[in-house]
Amino acid sequence: MGGAELGQIFVNALLLSGILALVALGFSLVWGIMNIVNLAHGAFIVLGAYITFFLHELLGVDPFLSIPIAMLALFTLGWGIQLGLINQVIRAPLLATFLLTFGLELLIVNLINYFFKADLRSVTTAYSGTGFTLGPVRVPYIRLGALAVSLVLVAGLAWYLKMTRVGRAIRATGMDLDAARLTGVKVATIYAATFAIGAGMAGAAGSLLSMIVPFDPTLGGTYTQRAFAICVLGGLGNVANVVIGAAIFAFVDVFVGARLPSLSRAVTFGILVLLLILRPQGIAGKTV
Amino acid sequence: MKRTALLALPALALVLGTFPALAEDTISFGAAVSLTGKTAKEGEYTRDGYNFAVETVNAQGGIVLGGKKYKIAVKYYDDESKSESTAQLIEKLINEDKVTFILGPYGSAPSGTAAPICEKYKIPMIEANGSAESIFSKGYKYTFAVLSPAKLYLKGLIDLVMSKDKSVRTVAVLGENEPFSKEVAGGAADYARERGLNVVYQELYPSGTQDVSALLTEIKGKNPDIVLGAGHLQDSLLIVKQAKDLGVSPKAMGFSVGPSSPEFRANLKSNADYIFGSTQWTEALKYNGGDPWKTPKGYAVAFRAKNPKYGDIPYQVAESSAAVIAFCRAIENAGTLDPAKVRDAIAALDIMTFYGQIKFDSRGINTFKPMAIEQLQPDGHKYTVFPSSVAEKDALYPMPAWDKRK
Amino acid sequence: MKRGTQVAAFALLLALLVVLPRFVSSYKLLTYTRFLILALMAQGWNFIGGYTGYAAFGNVAYFGIGAYTTGLLMIGKWHVPFFPALAAGALLSALVAILLGLPILRLKGHYFAIATLGVAEALSQVADTWDSVTDGSTGIDLPLKTEGEFFYYTALALVIGGLALTWAFSRSKLGNGCVAIREDQDAARMLGINTTFFKVIAYALSAVFAALAGGLTAYQNIHVTPGDFFRIDYTLQMIIATIIGGAGTVLGPVLGAAVYQLLSTYVWSKFLELHPTVLGLIIVLFIVFLPRGLMTVLARKRQRGERPFRMSDLLANVRAHRVT
Repeated sequence: MGGAELGQIFVNALLLSGILALVALGFSLVWGIMNIVNLAHGAFIVLGAYITFFLHELLGVDPFLSIPIAMLALFTLGWGIQLGLINQVIRAPLLATFLLTFGLELLIVNLINYFFKADLRSVTTAYSGTGFTLGPVRVPYIRLGALAVSLVLVAGLAWYLKMTRVGRAIRATGMDLDAARLTGVKVATIYAATFAIGAGMAGAAGSLLSMIVPFDPTLGGTYTQRAFAICVLGGLGNVANVVIGAAIFAFVDVFVGARLPSLSRAVTFGILVLLLILRPQGIAGKTV
Repeated sequence: MKRTALLALPALALVLGTFPALAEDTISFGAAVSLTGKTAKEGEYTRDGYNFAVETVNAQGGIVLGGKKYKIAVKYYDDESKSESTAQLIEKLINEDKVTFILGPYGSAPSGTAAPICEKYKIPMIEANGSAESIFSKGYKYTFAVLSPAKLYLKGLIDLVMSKDKSVRTVAVLGENEPFSKEVAGGAADYARERGLNVVYQELYPSGTQDVSALLTEIKGKNPDIVLGAGHLQDSLLIVKQAKDLGVSPKAMGFSVGPSSPEFRANLKSNADYIFGSTQWTEALKYNGGDPWKTPKGYAVAFRAKNPKYGDIPYQVAESSAAVIAFCRAIENAGTLDPAKVRDAIAALDIMTFYGQIKFDSRGINTFKPMAIEQLQPDGHKYTVFPSSVAEKDALYPMPAWDKRK
Repeated sequence: MKRGTQVAAFALLLALLVVLPRFVSSYKLLTYTRFLILALMAQGWNFIGGYTGYAAFGNVAYFGIGAYTTGLLMIGKWHVPFFPALAAGALLSALVAILLGLPILRLKGHYFAIATLGVAEALSQVADTWDSVTDGSTGIDLPLKTEGEFFYYTALALVIGGLALTWAFSRSKLGNGCVAIREDQDAARMLGINTTFFKVIAYALSAVFAALAGGLTAYQNIHVTPGDFFRIDYTLQMIIATIIGGAGTVLGPVLGAAVYQLLSTYVWSKFLELHPTVLGLIIVLFIVFLPRGLMTVLARKRQRGERPFRMSDLLANVRAHRVT
């Protein structure tokens, strides 16, 4: 494999890891704090993509500018879903929440399919496809922008969880539910906030994806699977772990995709299963 | 009965209007087509093609059998682009709705699922949108395809490029891992080798992939003269978009499916320029047949009159109409509605139509009609550029690099 | 319901099912066969998911293995007849399940679920790419068989066998051990139960049932491709059917399969485009209101002092699982 190719793979992976980190972060927050594996995460991503697409198509809003709007919309939706549905079964056995979020994913994605059809959409702007070259390697501007936005959001979340009162309450609730309650934390509200933040992050990821790939309602499915893999890889401890996990996953994904495209999913999952068997707490984190 | 409830479904309401309630002098056809899902657009073309032919035939009095005139009608079901649903729906059409004949679904995968069912019940099926030869290698006697086989799709493009540029040496082929695209990719690579080219890259990506940047990166490293893509509309859009992103600029780029659909240009806008696409049929071709429309141009004009939202007509529409015409001819030749006799009549068919020659080889697929190549050009239009005997315009070659445009 | 009445009702139902083919159209018979095949899969999943409490999310892998093994043996050079081929498929699935189960069953909860999912996905792609054996995405075609009754009666026989097996299982040391594992694995281990052995057996049983279902479906559909046979939809169907009917009960999976098939057929013919949406809605509603399935509503075990099941019980159940 030539140096130019390796270089391009490196750049591709780097740019991909931003989006993956964003996707995985929302997912890991909900999992780590609420012990819920949210299979509807993919649906939130798709919703974000469609919001950005329609804002661009109908109102001419620049896709990057529509990100806050998509995030707010998904935040609100996530809050509602948690309080209205998830909260009803949060203490039921694992399978219940797993299946509930699965049912939600089915419901939401197919409603989207019903209303918007399976037509492929993509957000094409004047600057789509443009980029600069670093020697033999090409860096598309949009992907670079996506990386930048992801980093800002990831850093923002890390700051929020560490510095603000609500953020610290979220972490406390995740660490010890009863102790948190004793200090006056309203757990139901904190759970709703956590889930909402997770949804908001997914929405942002969706907005970014809409600029990069042609998408249809099934966009989110593979990203949920990847988010799970990343959480296992990186461990659920904190933001840094997830980012590391995302980077590793991105590199493996891109490399395998280039070398063995027809078996890419098999290899990725094979690695995941091996990892689960050998080191379930992940490369960096602590056991859940 | 449940039939009335079905008629109320909005998506199928338009289409079901062609199915009369009391079918006495009507020959009923059944079709399970992808009206929603991944290949919804192509499924729509298929249905529109079937409907147009049915309307035209009925307007001219229908089919004549034993001195009596019969109208024809089609009952549709949506298989949601899922081939496992196709089988179930064909069973339903045959056993519950009791249709006499089957018109094929869109796609090789669903056609492959439908063929054994039709064989099981000995009901003839003519399909127009499943060109994988694997469907015809199992010895089924009741399935026929009016279109040319998959491996021929990209052959013309290789011929075209080589005729324009003697210095071409290398080809990269990527395809979707599903029955049709596999054969297109394999056929293209084999033909390239036959003509002395070096196939520097040949890989299949999983169906439903949403990111091919890794493959394109590898292709970029090999710097091929020609890049050939074998997938469906979705994939062709993805590949072009990401090729631009990554700066993959071969001298020629072409796809088996995609460029001939209006969606291609609509989605990619100016990024679609210079891209080639294979096609089973275009209106620039010069055929003269015994069907209601006679020539490709005649068909196109008549179709657009009934379906004004179409500009350029995707070939899926034309070949679907051709399937209906083939059926009508065979039924008339057989002189009866007996499925076995009609089946034999179909096998013996050899007619020239607006779509080209329709004749089936011993396996049931039409190996007697050639493929053509189109190109999208910077003036916003799409032109037939190969074979040269019917070319509307000269092909623009080579393709300017992405960053050197505008 | 008294014991005697229960048995009589069951016998009547069975009799009806046996003579059914004579009264329905061949297409309707297909729907009934589909219900029976789903019941078969659900019965299998019930062993690992219902009794043992391990949410296996990738049993479609065994469905696919069963389908391909049966198919390849039938069309290969030995031209193996259907039933031996089917048995071979079941055996192979059991072996794979044992091999995979040993390492994977050590994982808990979500990890186990995703590991099984990963296995299914990986296997699907392998089948897609292994052209020399499976013909890849092109798929294989089994020999034609037109008699719908053959499939119906085979499925019926298998389901009845499954009921008998589940009943015996629930009363055996194996079954009780699995329930103990579900309730408190560490305590079970301390009581001397060989948890690994029990779990692997339950998992292998689920694989056998899935493989039988897969082989039968393959023969019925004739055309087998990885894309059609390794779909997660099958896993979901068997899980939902079991949940609806009541996980960890003998009749639950069959009851759930019947309800699911009924809903599915009704929704499919009336709301084709909304089919998956409605399915999703049903899952959501069942999980929130009836997580223990319909058997809790129907099996009114009235012990002394226990009052009959009421709607308010549903809401009380919901409230108990909330966080305030």
